[in-house]
Amino acid sequence: MTGRVGIRVLVFLTLVALLATGVAGCRKPEPKPQAPAEIKPEDRILRMDEDWPTYIDPAVGNDFSDSIALVNLYDTLVFPNLDGSVRAHLATSWDVSPDGLKYSFHLRPGVKFHNGQEVTAEDVEFSMKRLLTIGEGFAYLFKNVSDVKAPDKYAVEFTLKEPFGPFIKALVRFYVLNKKEVLDHLKKPGQYGDMGDYGKEWLLTHDAGSGPYKVKEMKMEEYLLAEKFNEWWGGWDKDAPVYFKEFASPDPVTIRTLMARRETELTDEFQPEENLAALEKIEGVQTAGFFNGNNLNIMLHTKKPPTDDIHFRRALAYCLDYETVVTKIWPSCKQARGPVPHNLPGHNPNVYQFKRDLDKAREELKKSKYYGQLDKYPVTLSWCAEVPLEEKLALLFQANAAELGIKVEVTKKPFGAMIADAQSPETTPNASIVYVAPHYPEAGSILTSRYHSSTCGSWEQCEWLQNKDVDAAIEQALRTTDEQKRFEVYQKIQEMIVELCPTIWVLDQFEKRAYQAAYVYWPAGEAGKAGKSILPVMGYGVYAHDYRVYPEKKMELLKASK
Amino acid sequence: MSVGRFVVRRLALSLLVLAGLSVLIFLIARVVPGDPARLALGPRAPEWAVDNLRKEMNLDKPLEVQYYLWIKGLFRGDLGKSLLTRRPVLDDIKEFLPATCEIVLLSALVMALGGITLGLLSASYPNSWFDNVTRVVAYLGIVTPSFVWAVVFVLIFGYLWPILPAIGRLEMGVEAPPVLTGFLLLDSLIFGKYEAFWDALRHLILPSVALALGGMAQAARITRSSLMENMSKDYALAQVAYGIPWRVILLKYLLKPSLIPTVSIMALDIAALFANAFLVELVFNYPGISGYGIRAMLNKDINAITGVIMILGVIFTGINIIVDLIVAYLDPRVRLLGGNQRA
Repeated sequence: MTGRVGIRVLVFLTLVALLATGVAGCRKPEPKPQAPAEIKPEDRILRMDEDWPTYIDPAVGNDFSDSIALVNLYDTLVFPNLDGSVRAHLATSWDVSPDGLKYSFHLRPGVKFHNGQEVTAEDVEFSMKRLLTIGEGFAYLFKNVSDVKAPDKYAVEFTLKEPFGPFIKALVRFYVLNKKEVLDHLKKPGQYGDMGDYGKEWLLTHDAGSGPYKVKEMKMEEYLLAEKFNEWWGGWDKDAPVYFKEFASPDPVTIRTLMARRETELTDEFQPEENLAALEKIEGVQTAGFFNGNNLNIMLHTKKPPTDDIHFRRALAYCLDYETVVTKIWPSCKQARGPVPHNLPGHNPNVYQFKRDLDKAREELKKSKYYGQLDKYPVTLSWCAEVPLEEKLALLFQANAAELGIKVEVTKKPFGAMIADAQSPETTPNASIVYVAPHYPEAGSILTSRYHSSTCGSWEQCEWLQNKDVDAAIEQALRTTDEQKRFEVYQKIQEMIVELCPTIWVLDQFEKRAYQAAYVYWPAGEAGKAGKSILPVMGYGVYAHDYRVYPEKKMELLKASK
Repeated sequence: MSVGRFVVRRLALSLLVLAGLSVLIFLIARVVPGDPARLALGPRAPEWAVDNLRKEMNLDKPLEVQYYLWIKGLFRGDLGKSLLTRRPVLDDIKEFLPATCEIVLLSALVMALGGITLGLLSASYPNSWFDNVTRVVAYLGIVTPSFVWAVVFVLIFGYLWPILPAIGRLEMGVEAPPVLTGFLLLDSLIFGKYEAFWDALRHLILPSVALALGGMAQAARITRSSLMENMSKDYALAQVAYGIPWRVILLKYLLKPSLIPTVSIMALDIAALFANAFLVELVFNYPGISGYGIRAMLNKDINAITGVIMILGVIFTGINIIVDLIVAYLDPRVRLLGGNQRA
């Protein structure tokens, strides 16, 4: 009897719960503010989706999504211009010793951290030491730094082990933390001795910066919500976003829904063309973009048969239908010319560019040691599951290679698995389709990460080139402090690399996003639409401070759609 | 067999299963190619930093020592650190598990009530238009993956007729309750945050229903066929002959035994939802344990993988024990024979 009563109570409760659910679901949506008079600070928000997770600790984060967060939360000594040069930022000026080993910076006085304390040279010194001690994030760019000192409150000196020509440009990746705040949040014991965990745990979800935005809420697997720092030294435009939100990329259909509901302002850069076309049909939404200095490559393993044969690689390079790639698959992009994207300072515009030419491809194939036994040597190819468009390139490449009698085995792999594969020459496939981005705005960044032997084993060099001459030339270029001379060496390196044909340089990426053009001003997007040549360093294309948001125009759109 | 002995026996078997699972998942997580420490720190981290992380994770030790240390940690509630979120796996699980639990519980409710009711009505009016329509709808529900429903729901209720939120757990501007249990609904009620309660409930509806539809359709079909089978049994005919009203026969005498297969299968479906919810979580950008587990697998986050799988294992075995108890309640033969014979 009791059991039966229990069941009845349970059924009753579940019915009540269901009814409540139904009521909650079917009740009318919350009325949205419709008149400008009702605009609240949270309406002036810039929301965007990106890959996830996002690390906001300057000594940890280094990918696209991290960079977007970091440039908004932290200040750097210098700031990149859209043309790839840099300007003063936290530092007002700097001097370089004639031997290129000592850099002295003069800091801007009166700059405040988010907690109100002043930014001093001691903070800069601490930030660099912390970065180098932890060794993650962008630390590799500064491994040349042997010492950093703060001779007075507003002066800081860096000493390098050997000259590093692009040092000033690399500093766009050096974020300054509040020493006192980090020290107040050390977790002991930790792996860094007296420094405990060096504040790593706390900095996962908090910031200690002086940038234009400060963390309001950080949900590790969900989103970063940052709020305008009113006392930011650079000042504010009245229409700048009050809030900036970066959230994990959901499904393209969800993105479309959010854009239509005006619940996000900017999409990520990997939306498929079909989705971008659909988004453009939404009133007030437009797409815009620019060449971002990234390129897409088919990396050919130079130590594994059959791609270890230079003639075989050239045959593949000649057989790809580049025209179809840049007109049908990625219509806004441009065929790459060599390893360095065309708008990256130091690019060689005269380097040889492969075109589809089946006669030349067959000629090269005949010279290959694998000619006549192609059946025994299929080409394994991986493409990144997170970028669906790459599948089209993989299939096109497969079809093009089949015209030569070469069999290509295509595998879709999550990026994590591709990274794991790249760790050893045995597991790296013959061909890997990978996007690569420069870490500082100069050819040296790409040349180092892509072809220097020190980067073998990373996803950025699935070629396993290991060429001593290339290594030496890259090292020589990076040691050259004179920019013009350095660029000359870069140009020669590009010729050397093209001659070796370790890669099929497919295209220079046109970073295209959809955005709420009716109520958002996006500086890089507008410059791109105006046809200006721009090169935003990774992350700086979403520098929220320079955006403008007009919520009253959004209200009008919402009102019109009701 | 007493209920106590029945439960103890089931618990002992479950512990064996979990011990086997721990060995299996520990080994699988480690034999997948790729160095987790290198993957976590990135290609350019210096070798000393990668070595330090390997040491911190005990990856420099022999496999059996690693397993011993891991099990030791497990009993202390230390599941290690996630390479992806860079914080203790237990903290991640505490944050993400309640979120998925909320979806799964609501799904279970929809699945049970909807499935049993539809099955009952179909069996009551066999081969009627209602039964035929339910059959078609049920087949559609079974063959359509939950993420497809999720996308369809986003399009319908998020885009064409925007009455429900499309992503997340809570709208911006809605004050979240303090975290006590991690269950937003419960915490909102405990702290009297009714606006947060309604908002969280609204966020749960689409993902929960999307997840529930497949199981609900299956439950409807199983309930119907089970009821139909029992309806033709002698005891049912005898009850009709005694003049007992059909409604009473159906609800009082036929439904209970007919629910045994439904409950058994539905419970497994519900347990499986914890692992299968990841695509729905992706579509709705919902921070749950399923999505977390999948991301861990894709990034070879070994501590998170083992932690999530063990938790899911515990949930799965726990639900199985509950199912056995429910089945024992529904069918006294199971209770009396200790589950050895289900005539």
